[in-house]
Amino acid sequence: MATITPTRTNPSTFKPKRSKGEIIVDWLTTTDHKKIGYLYLITSFLYFLLGGVMALVIRAQLALPGLEIVATKEQYNQLFTMHGTIMLLMFATPLFAGFANVLMPVQIGAPDVAFPRLNAIAYWFFSFGSLIAVSGFFTPQGAASFGWFAYAPLSNTTFSPGIGGDLWVFGLALSGFGTILGGVNFITTIITMRAPGMTMWRMPIFTWNTLVTSILIIMAFPPLAAALFALGADRQFGAHIFDPQNGGAMLWQHLFWFFGHPEVYIIALPFFGIVSEIFPVFSRKPIFGYKTLVYATIAIAALSMTVWAHHMYVTGQVLLPFFAFTTMLIAVPTGVKIFNWIGTLWRGSITFETPMLWSLGFLVSFVFGGLTGVILASPALDFMLSDSYFVVAHFHYVVFGTVVFAMFAGFYFWWPKFTGKMLNERLGKIHFWILFVGFHTTFLVQHWLGVLGMPRRYATYLPEDGFTEMNLISTAGAALLALSMIPFLFNVWITARKGKMVELKDPWGYGRSLEWATESPIPRHNFHSIPRIRSESPAFDLNYPEYAAPEAKASYSKEGIS
Amino acid sequence: MTIEGPKLSKNRSRFRAVALFSSIALLLSGCSAELQRGFLPDASGVTNHTDRIIGLWTTSWIVLLAVGVVSWGLMAWALIVYRRRNGQTGLPSQLRYNLPIETLFTVIPLILVVGFFAFTARDMTAIEAEVENPDVHIEVIAKQWSWDFNYVDDNVFDSGIQAQFTGKEENIFETLPTLYLPVGKSIHIELNSRDVIHSFWVIDFLYKKDMFPGHTNNMYFTPLKEGTYVGKCAELCGEYHSMMLFNVKVVSQSEYDSRMGALATQGNVGQLSTEYDRNQNLPGGDPTIRG
Repeated sequence: MATITPTRTNPSTFKPKRSKGEIIVDWLTTTDHKKIGYLYLITSFLYFLLGGVMALVIRAQLALPGLEIVATKEQYNQLFTMHGTIMLLMFATPLFAGFANVLMPVQIGAPDVAFPRLNAIAYWFFSFGSLIAVSGFFTPQGAASFGWFAYAPLSNTTFSPGIGGDLWVFGLALSGFGTILGGVNFITTIITMRAPGMTMWRMPIFTWNTLVTSILIIMAFPPLAAALFALGADRQFGAHIFDPQNGGAMLWQHLFWFFGHPEVYIIALPFFGIVSEIFPVFSRKPIFGYKTLVYATIAIAALSMTVWAHHMYVTGQVLLPFFAFTTMLIAVPTGVKIFNWIGTLWRGSITFETPMLWSLGFLVSFVFGGLTGVILASPALDFMLSDSYFVVAHFHYVVFGTVVFAMFAGFYFWWPKFTGKMLNERLGKIHFWILFVGFHTTFLVQHWLGVLGMPRRYATYLPEDGFTEMNLISTAGAALLALSMIPFLFNVWITARKGKMVELKDPWGYGRSLEWATESPIPRHNFHSIPRIRSESPAFDLNYPEYAAPEAKASYSKEGIS
Repeated sequence: MTIEGPKLSKNRSRFRAVALFSSIALLLSGCSAELQRGFLPDASGVTNHTDRIIGLWTTSWIVLLAVGVVSWGLMAWALIVYRRRNGQTGLPSQLRYNLPIETLFTVIPLILVVGFFAFTARDMTAIEAEVENPDVHIEVIAKQWSWDFNYVDDNVFDSGIQAQFTGKEENIFETLPTLYLPVGKSIHIELNSRDVIHSFWVIDFLYKKDMFPGHTNNMYFTPLKEGTYVGKCAELCGEYHSMMLFNVKVVSQSEYDSRMGALATQGNVGQLSTEYDRNQNLPGGDPTIRG
């Protein structure tokens, strides 16, 4: 047995004292992939809080029938439109860019991304585009109110005349270009900048998922940009691209969902990647079925381009059997992933540190979202459930269950890599359990609401509908959910103030990918030295050579290291 | 290559498994009528399609929950049995893959999916089937934020306004526009819109379909049970979307005929059309090119 000597960060690293102005200028002009990543993470988390506040107002409005928490139903429509837009395009998507920016170059042993300045401009496009879209709230008629999928003709100037709609269209177009450029950058980096020994089949699952997600981005976001500019032309210049007279209402839906469905996987795959990094570390086992997992990811991505019209079953104008079958097929690779994760836990030696807890919370919740997804894939059942709260419940299980749980898993897991300090475990566990209970209280009951006939996007309902009790439960759950942010924010604050530097490369002790073989926090150019890469777990092979993968072990013993 | 340390006694884990299964059994034994129809509204026999939909819904859920219970069960088992106990050191066997098992959990879901698709295809074909010579023709035109009903065969119409609801009204359903349908007759509804996209959803029919400006959608069914059913617009259509409510009254043929007579005596003779489609107000829109 080899003994492991914890490698200490060099404390003599020279750090000149800088003025506040210098720090601000440094952050505004940075091209460092990690700093840009932190900008993405911070910005998207702020949007998460903003979208969350909107959700609270929405839930308050629905707590009882006939409430008027928001003054007009138009304002209610603005709230859920912007809640959806923010959560999908200003929180989840840039959150992917944040995690990918900070971690992917380190995981492949690169000093930075391929195009650092393109990376910076992608962030600023996203940042300003999102500000433009949200700024609709400061216009006289308010923000966009036609729903986040902006169906034509409701989204044209006859039915939605306000300038908020224009800000939404052009803001999202700008932000979308940021996303596309980010995707191009990630693909190039992964293809061209892997360290010696880092073959494609040795990339961590998170890096694989970043690659596949980026490919999805460059397929899905350009159609969205085109559709948004066309809608902008309709609104500003009287073009008739989405005029119902020439089939424009269906054209918009096809273009939007051709983007919109892959988008769901754009915000899911990276977070599948995060939990795929975490399960092995706290099960003390390699990921089970690495190659099947990668092929499953590729299969999901490929299928996700063929299923968009399952959002349009009730239009009566799509080929039902084709889209039903492709949609149901997605359940197969998704199921493979779930069983691979269970296989990773199986016969492991499992501990329940906060990152693991959050990943397990994801796994348990996501399975249920997957089951309701199979139900909705069937047109015969979707005719009844489409546009009801069942759909709302389903996609919150899938999207919140994936993005939010995996985000916090990633935060707790990589916080020492980001800042050099571990977040407090006890506060993290309190945070988890409040959020977990709040989440299920809010959304589980919404399945029943939808089945009993509550349509989504209703500003209110009748006492006779019989929805009151369940809506109250859901609203109470949302309040609990909001409450769970307090221990987290306190944790971040107290860790920054009082947390001790970990000074270990791998504070969790069983890290596998390359980021655990460099200092915490990650140094400016990522590595002072890179270990030999002979498997998908180079850091683990380095620390536990006697447990290393056969191919890695062979290479170590050949070179006389044991 | 193995973990050293205390092990969970076999008896204890067996006890836990027994406790788990007995609590599940207890939960299922409370099988109410509500549970038997999968918490759907009591829609059995409301139209000629609802029993088919309820059947597909409940069988799908039984299979899916079985899959769910297996998945959650495996997770729970792994977390309990393979947890690292105090005092344990070392690492477990570093198993990387197992091709037979991976093939198994690829092929089994595939078989389930193909089966589910077969039943879905059978049922959706039946639900969407066009009826050659329906007994009754009706046209519903949606508008922001209510419904117009054309009774085509009787050449009468009925026009609705949105629900007036502030939370204090009683019997609001009596003020809503109401579509009358004769029981036991095959019905063809043409769905149109005069402005934006709406969706025609009668909850207890377990069915909805979108209504497009410039495109006609169809639905075919036979109502089998007399009664009043709640209808709602299900596609976001602007500010008063949640006020776009209606009723469907399934009545006997004689009651239906007297309703047609009443509409005729009110002067609601003729048919409403989509000629006031507001899309012709689009910038540069030409009213002459529209019907």
